[in-house]
Amino acid sequence: MFSGWLTTIVFLPLAGAIIIALFVRGDKNVRWFAGIISLAELVLSIAVFAQYDLGAGADQFQLVDKIEDWIPVESFKVQYFLAIDGLSAPMVLLTGILGMVSVFASWSVKERLPEYFMWLLILQSAVMGVFTSMDFFLFFIFWELELIPMFFLISIWGSKPNREYSAMKFLIFTLLGSAFMLVGILVLFFSFDTFDMTLLPDAISRGGILLPASLVFTMIFIAFAVKLPIWPLHSWLPDAHTDAPTAASVMLAGVLLKMGAYGMLRISATMFPEVMAGIAWLLASVGVINILYGAAIVLRQTDLKRLIAFSSISHMGFVVLGLSAVVGVNGQVSTVGITGAALQMFTHGTITGLLFLLAGFIYERTHTRHIPHLGGLATRMPMLTGALVLAGLASLGLPSTSGFVSEIHVFLGVFPVWSWLTAVGAFGVVLTAGYILWMIQRAMFGPENQHLNNVSDATVMEMVPVAVMVAAIMVVGIYPAIIADVFTTGIQPIVDSLQIAVTANLQ
Amino acid sequence: MSLTDSLGTNWAWVIPALCASAFFIIFPIRRLVPRIGAAVSILAILLGFALFWFVLVGLLSDGPGAYSINWLTVGDTTLKWGVVVDRLSVTMLGLVTFVALLVQVYSLAYLTHHGERDPGFGRYFAFHSLFAAAMLTLVLADNLLFLYIAWELVGLGSYLLIGFWHERRSAAEAAKKAFVTTRIGDVGLFIGIIMLFKATGTFDISTIIHVASQPDGINQATLNISVFLIFLGAMGKSAQFPFHVWLPDAMEGPTPVSALIHAATMVAAGVYLVARLLPLYELAPTVLLIVASVGLFTFIFAGTLALVMTDIKRVLAYSTISHLGLMMLALGAGGLGAAIFHLVAHGVSKALLFLGAGSVMHAMNDETDMWKMGGLRRRLPITGWTFVIGAASLAGIIPLAGFFSKDEILLHVLDHLNPVFIVLALLGVVLSALYMARIVLVVFFGPPKIENESAHESPLVMTLPLILLAFFAATVGFLAFNYTNDYPGFGGFLEGHGEFKLTIWLTVASLALAVGGVTLGWMTYRSGTISHRRLAERYAWIHKLVINKYYLDDAIQWTIDKLVLTFGGFVGVFDRVVINDTGADGSAYTVWLSAMKVRLVQTGRFYNYGMLMAGGVVGLALVWWIVQT
Repeated sequence: MFSGWLTTIVFLPLAGAIIIALFVRGDKNVRWFAGIISLAELVLSIAVFAQYDLGAGADQFQLVDKIEDWIPVESFKVQYFLAIDGLSAPMVLLTGILGMVSVFASWSVKERLPEYFMWLLILQSAVMGVFTSMDFFLFFIFWELELIPMFFLISIWGSKPNREYSAMKFLIFTLLGSAFMLVGILVLFFSFDTFDMTLLPDAISRGGILLPASLVFTMIFIAFAVKLPIWPLHSWLPDAHTDAPTAASVMLAGVLLKMGAYGMLRISATMFPEVMAGIAWLLASVGVINILYGAAIVLRQTDLKRLIAFSSISHMGFVVLGLSAVVGVNGQVSTVGITGAALQMFTHGTITGLLFLLAGFIYERTHTRHIPHLGGLATRMPMLTGALVLAGLASLGLPSTSGFVSEIHVFLGVFPVWSWLTAVGAFGVVLTAGYILWMIQRAMFGPENQHLNNVSDATVMEMVPVAVMVAAIMVVGIYPAIIADVFTTGIQPIVDSLQIAVTANLQ
Repeated sequence: MSLTDSLGTNWAWVIPALCASAFFIIFPIRRLVPRIGAAVSILAILLGFALFWFVLVGLLSDGPGAYSINWLTVGDTTLKWGVVVDRLSVTMLGLVTFVALLVQVYSLAYLTHHGERDPGFGRYFAFHSLFAAAMLTLVLADNLLFLYIAWELVGLGSYLLIGFWHERRSAAEAAKKAFVTTRIGDVGLFIGIIMLFKATGTFDISTIIHVASQPDGINQATLNISVFLIFLGAMGKSAQFPFHVWLPDAMEGPTPVSALIHAATMVAAGVYLVARLLPLYELAPTVLLIVASVGLFTFIFAGTLALVMTDIKRVLAYSTISHLGLMMLALGAGGLGAAIFHLVAHGVSKALLFLGAGSVMHAMNDETDMWKMGGLRRRLPITGWTFVIGAASLAGIIPLAGFFSKDEILLHVLDHLNPVFIVLALLGVVLSALYMARIVLVVFFGPPKIENESAHESPLVMTLPLILLAFFAATVGFLAFNYTNDYPGFGGFLEGHGEFKLTIWLTVASLALAVGGVTLGWMTYRSGTISHRRLAERYAWIHKLVINKYYLDDAIQWTIDKLVLTFGGFVGVFDRVVINDTGADGSAYTVWLSAMKVRLVQTGRFYNYGMLMAGGVVGLALVWWIVQT
């Protein structure tokens, strides 16, 4: 089976990066070439998403690209296996959107330009690979590949003086996590003689795993927990975000964090439903801690990017909280909370991506991220202000934006299971309203600032990515079924296996 | 069948849709052609107001209607966007479209100073359309989730309009305060809605009420908690103590916006919500008593504040809070019709007063200190006399609107609540009359002051809405009577049962108290028989307490600054010191240290390595030997 769509979408940016390295000369050409590649990638991702068949009789895994004996060593069979299901299709779309946005957000980068766009494109290939790989080893390769471009993007184009520290911290945290995951993957392979992620869940449920399932689960889970990040493994995130260049922040917040959440759904919940249901209480508690802990810290942040970074920790808590619905209520597992977690991945990706993008634009103009030094920008930057207000309102979960859609799913799904914890977590919503509106008020409103009287509004080129993100936020906000229904088809099989696990547990 | 025949209840959804479309049309062109934007906005709300009449006629001839479309499937539940057209929602439709229409027309002139339009002219009307669309959606929503969505969008509209002059620090601050304060209540509302959903499996309001009224429908504790949480949302939006703090600050927005917020949108939402869910509250008598108590307390509490404020808009703001409390008290007494009647009467009167205040400010270069005004009825005759009508209506003077609606409320309180409630409510009536007399006498009577020499009457676009509103403030009250057999008075009409009745002694008593309050005001602020300055000096500590708003705002600010932000700071320090420096960097440092130690082993000398290698070989051999045997 080889439809070729996913191979194209995964390797097009990489090919683009190689062409830039070898053939494209001149900053302007590089910029436009990368722009065209990212646009093509966006079109492809929309095409892939649109092709995904929601029909009742459709295969769970579609657009399969499969070479069974990719690494044909008898004792180490790795397949080249790309496919999408309802869980990964929206993530491919998200990556396409944010990849394009991050390239267009980099229009004013001047330093070592060809290299910069190369890394950015390679990063996009790696993330696409993570979301489409159905072979665990291939998944791991892409998972690790993503680190290299991000490391260089932060450490070379990041903001001084801490960029090397932040880049290294990001690298070490993630590598430590993935070291555990590698052991877990190998244990699974030695137990079942396959890396095929579509076969592993069945195999594991039949038993015969070499180490206790909970141990293997934990090893793999740690990697995802670092990436997501779950408290208290989050301390790489604020530093990495603060020091990363705008495009890297957008990718980091928009898709890289989602790899952790995606892994929890694709691997932790799918392969180890019993263990996952067993730690649901932990997920609920940690989710609420993430929400409130992140929000509490944001309250005192005065650095624009750091503020958004901590708000990411808070909002990713909703993903974890949504996942805690895996245990079900009265023995009935429902798709709602888990769909909410998946939706939150998508909506947080677009919303926080947009926030980082705008923070980057504001920084380029004012050369400061210190919020008290900003202020009074609204008159001079009406378009950027409008976009920031919209992104902020989406972030605080205003209905008619996508932020509300995912939050309502999470609350509806989790409240019946963990009522008190959910009610406590709901106060995160108030804190979010407080800090987001404070940020907007101090950064953009107020009397005109004499130090900043020569700033200009966004250019047309800059408004392109902004408009794309705004569209993504509003469309999902007004007609959520466009994403929610796709996610539900991907989550239904997970819920089915969770249901079996929960029922077995009750008996 | 002609078009006018087919225009019935089915067309209700078009009214908010018109305003929403107006928003989407105006927003992109707001800066290019601001005047066309204003025209589109006013046209939309005018059509909406016209359509309201057809909906009303349709309702009276065909009875209530409801319809919905699917929006999203969550698990096994399909969420719908649905509309309910009944007497309650149609009454609200009329009030909202009417007040919004007049406010928008008035704004045409208010946002033009000396022939120069405000730079945000187009944006202003775009936001007005959005605000109206949200409020109209809210009153039509047939399910709680849809209602919640509209509810939050109403909050958005008020945020955008209060902060309209965003370059003013105080306006931006007030907008944020309004949004965040109401959001605290909204969390309660949200959880309450989800609890009801969990208990009944639906968001549909009539189904929830039906399920709850079954003997084993909803667990009593669940019902109590959920409707109480929903009431928290209503307290936030309708500015009930202690959530009221956002409303007086909200006057930082343009004055017509205040008129809209105080009369027809935003604060009306909370009262409407409780009214819509009143059957649920009646199943939870404990919570209903809380509603009544909060309402009564707010009624009196805010009345005392209105008595000492010197800013004309602040007086009106506290008066609004006070009257919202009265409406909540009415609902707490089960008086749905009375509460909504007062909502309408107060809405018309308060819109009139705010627009009048705007006219005064327009004439006096945005001055709001009432002690700098005086004798203005000579300089602004239309504004002056219409203002007197509005104030007298809210003071409860016969035969104006406020008199009748307040009377119905008092009747319900007398019939359904503990006698303590009626006594205190009558005290509130005196306060209402007193502060209304104060504002009218200080601003419009007495000798003109030098400060207002150049003041002149506003243009016709501004005075015409005043005249129209004054007409309704004077006449709406007569809806109270049962003229025909089909029409059992406003309250009976709204509730669908019951009829108009009168308790003569209560009516006389409340009227006497209102007149007494006004007379007291006359003696204090006009004839000078009682010196309010001397009173303020004698009871200095009371005066200080009240003029500082009982230090409630300060207490809340202190809580935010000292408790919440300190806590945030503490968590931040914890995160840096414990999680990051100790946990992350600390372990990294430990690894680095041990790496430094390991480095000592690497001496670069051949015999050291040789020794180690030999040792290793011996060790391995030993292991091999042990495993073998």
